[in-house]
Amino acid sequence: MTSRIKEKVFFTILGIPMVACLLVFFWIVFVLSSGIGTLSWNILTTSVLKGGIFEMIIGTIYLLLGAAGIAGPIGILAAVYLVEYAPSGKLTRTIDQAINNLAGVPSIVIGLFGLTFFCKQLGLGISLGAGWLTLTLMILPIVIRGTEEAIKLVPTSFKEAALALGTTKWKAISSMTIPSAAPGIITSVVLGMARVAGETAAILFTSCVLVTRGLPTTPLDPVMALAYNLFVKIVALGEPPEKVFGIALVLFFIVIFFATAAIVLRIYYRRRQPWLR
Amino acid sequence: MNRNMNKGISTTVAIIGMIILLIIGSAAGYYAGISLTPSQQEYPEDSAWRTASITLSGSTTVLPIANASAIAFMNIYNTTTVTVQGGGSGVGYSNIIDGVVEVGMASREPTTTEINNAKAKSPAVDLWLHPIALDAVCVVVNPSVANSSHPLNLTLQEVGKIFAGNYTYWDEVQAGLPHHEIVVVVREPGSGTRGTFEEYAMKPWGYSVTTGATEQPGNPAVRSKVESTPYSIGYVGFGFLTENMHTVSLAKQAGEPYVYPTVTSIAGGKYPISRYLYLVTNGQPQSGSLADRFIDFLLSNEGQQIVEENGFLKLPYVYP
Amino acid sequence: MLRVRNSKKMLHFFKHFKKEPIEALLFLCAFFSIIVLFLMLFFTAKEGLQAFFTFGIDLIIGQTWKPSEGLFGAFPLIYGSIMVVSGALVIAIPWGVITAIFIAEVLPFSIRDIIKSIIELLASIPSIIYGFIGVLYIAPQVASLFGISFGTVALTASLVLAIMSVPTILGVSGEIISAVPKEYKEAALALGATKWQTIRNVVIPIAKSGILASIMLGFGRAIGETVAVLMVSGTVARIPTPPWNFLSPVYPLTAVIAMQMGEAAVGSREYSALFGLGLILFILTFIVNTLADIIVKREPKIRSGKK
Repeated sequence: MTSRIKEKVFFTILGIPMVACLLVFFWIVFVLSSGIGTLSWNILTTSVLKGGIFEMIIGTIYLLLGAAGIAGPIGILAAVYLVEYAPSGKLTRTIDQAINNLAGVPSIVIGLFGLTFFCKQLGLGISLGAGWLTLTLMILPIVIRGTEEAIKLVPTSFKEAALALGTTKWKAISSMTIPSAAPGIITSVVLGMARVAGETAAILFTSCVLVTRGLPTTPLDPVMALAYNLFVKIVALGEPPEKVFGIALVLFFIVIFFATAAIVLRIYYRRRQPWLR
Repeated sequence: MNRNMNKGISTTVAIIGMIILLIIGSAAGYYAGISLTPSQQEYPEDSAWRTASITLSGSTTVLPIANASAIAFMNIYNTTTVTVQGGGSGVGYSNIIDGVVEVGMASREPTTTEINNAKAKSPAVDLWLHPIALDAVCVVVNPSVANSSHPLNLTLQEVGKIFAGNYTYWDEVQAGLPHHEIVVVVREPGSGTRGTFEEYAMKPWGYSVTTGATEQPGNPAVRSKVESTPYSIGYVGFGFLTENMHTVSLAKQAGEPYVYPTVTSIAGGKYPISRYLYLVTNGQPQSGSLADRFIDFLLSNEGQQIVEENGFLKLPYVYP
Repeated sequence: MLRVRNSKKMLHFFKHFKKEPIEALLFLCAFFSIIVLFLMLFFTAKEGLQAFFTFGIDLIIGQTWKPSEGLFGAFPLIYGSIMVVSGALVIAIPWGVITAIFIAEVLPFSIRDIIKSIIELLASIPSIIYGFIGVLYIAPQVASLFGISFGTVALTASLVLAIMSVPTILGVSGEIISAVPKEYKEAALALGATKWQTIRNVVIPIAKSGILASIMLGFGRAIGETVAVLMVSGTVARIPTPPWNFLSPVYPLTAVIAMQMGEAAVGSREYSALFGLGLILFILTFIVNTLADIIVKREPKIRSGKK
């Protein structure tokens, strides 16, 4: 066998884990699709009080958008600092370590912290706001890391060109670097949202209820969310798998929706930035 | 058993009071030609309750009932808000004691610790238990252990010994059972079902659950575990029995008859591990308040219908 | 002498922000992560240390966990967590890294994005669904394949955790590997190296610290997973016999906290014991992260900040 063929065979074998990933993915989607029969436009738009799941869908979206809205700005600004301003010193290394550690904290510990600090100490009780803050803790490291990587990919020549024209450092970064890094930043925010969309442990104690009237009107109101509902349905109510998978599909589609929006935005921005691959 | 007596007396008084009111109310309704709805005859008319909001939290056994009745109630009274969350009977009691919710849900009576915690609060919390359904904790085994042609009969103490891990193999328990290791399935520590079970089958003899038992987070989880695991034994609420498991007939002690859980044997008090499902409040709910009306709703025909639809038993006075 | 130097540093520190006040805001945002981490550690420790004072070292090495009898030996629980996470990583690390390399280097450019997006969608499936599917489909397969009576055992938990961790490892590794500058790869190829030689000798060494970072993230994902392991790990508070028996049920720390927190009255022994478990989890992830940090520090990190 020539070494060419050997290499082709080798790379084919190397591709097996990836194929396995895809197989697992499609199998899970196949299993979930058994629940599609329980869904209908009616169910999605009818109130929980009439047998639908409308408030749970909106509640989940509220939780995700709110958490992203808090973690996004903080994370982006923090990443800008770390890449553009931070001196290589002990403090910066500590911040780096803190972010890594934050990413590794188990979700149940974050949930417990949310309960004792946001719900009890800050007096928020079981509320949308407490859920936002708790989920922010989970999204933040993802946004920071992703934004860091995105900023690093932007050619420094852009920033330097602006600086050469006499603007301040921040003006240069905010007008050149951040917009250029926008696709990567958006991706990381959406990645963070995808990560916490299916998160149960964090919201279990801090923000969700099984049923209530209507949507939360203030951040102090409790919220109905799909992930929590799934948990109660499986564990306490013993609903049949089809119904459970149906709701799981809804959650899955919400995440796909956000992910697709991010991909579209990414492609749009990339068109304007031919220097990225 | 002083605390039981107090609870028993307040509960009995409450029930008798409610029965009397219902009789008067339905008589009045019958003669006035209108049907009885909880809001009409008995309360001071005060519309603050119509826009009020209460939260229920606690037992996962009561949860399906609370969920369904909250939805039904909110559909009848379009401006009220009844919020329901789970957590377990332990959470229900502690939330009432801490004043976090207006109504707790419990599938067991309060423990001494909980009663003490309630008394220790200032002002002291007065735990009022409102029974809303009758239930039984049933011991179930996988069909590989026993089935209707070879049924399993056990005394409460025997059951306790099995769950305490005193036996390793089924044939040590009784002759004729298979020689296989016993798989013990239990609930999480905060479960009222677990609390009731241990109250009757383990505490009297000082047994405690073996560490080799698998903890499951709810009645459905225990059910599916026992259904799918050969040589397993567990306990579930009466509403969760299926024909994929064998239900054990229990005797209170040796020499007494073994009783199989049925509506009759539970309602008649013959089945040894029967219990009430409770809504818990701090003191008597103010007459006409949302909490008061919601509890009454659960005691009404419609509410008791919901109880039955979820696999539990209506309160005894409802049966003819 | 020291005092003068320190105060000079402080002054310099604050004067520094005067130059560009926006930098102060940026710094605060970055510092926020330290604050938040510290807060979490503080609150977890506040409750958890109580347990250490009451039970001492027995909390960690005690072999019986029976809160109803006042026994809080968490060793079987710690062992359970470590066991399922090790199993998960053994499967997920090769799986994730090889897939990342394959996608970034071998896959034709046109389908790269699509495949990556599909695999990353695995991360957005709710963890409870992983648990549910694990119980419904994977556990029975494990049970019949190995001839044991029930399939919710450490192996199943490791499998499920592996599937959940692969997207995490993949995502970060993939970014790192594709960020390796083209020039290095082209230089190697120009020198006559084959594609695989390039990958092995150029790409991987450069991407090493990033890959390690992704493994750490994967570890964090696996050890922190709660609801999925709650359903598939078996939830039996005992060390398997023999200890390496993956066909035995275990009770990871996260599952215990989630299951038993409901019963624990605030301030009770059970409450602080469970927070103690949370503290143990915290410390475990901290140790792993610090170890990784030490290894990564060997690689020079390029920052465009001030020197």
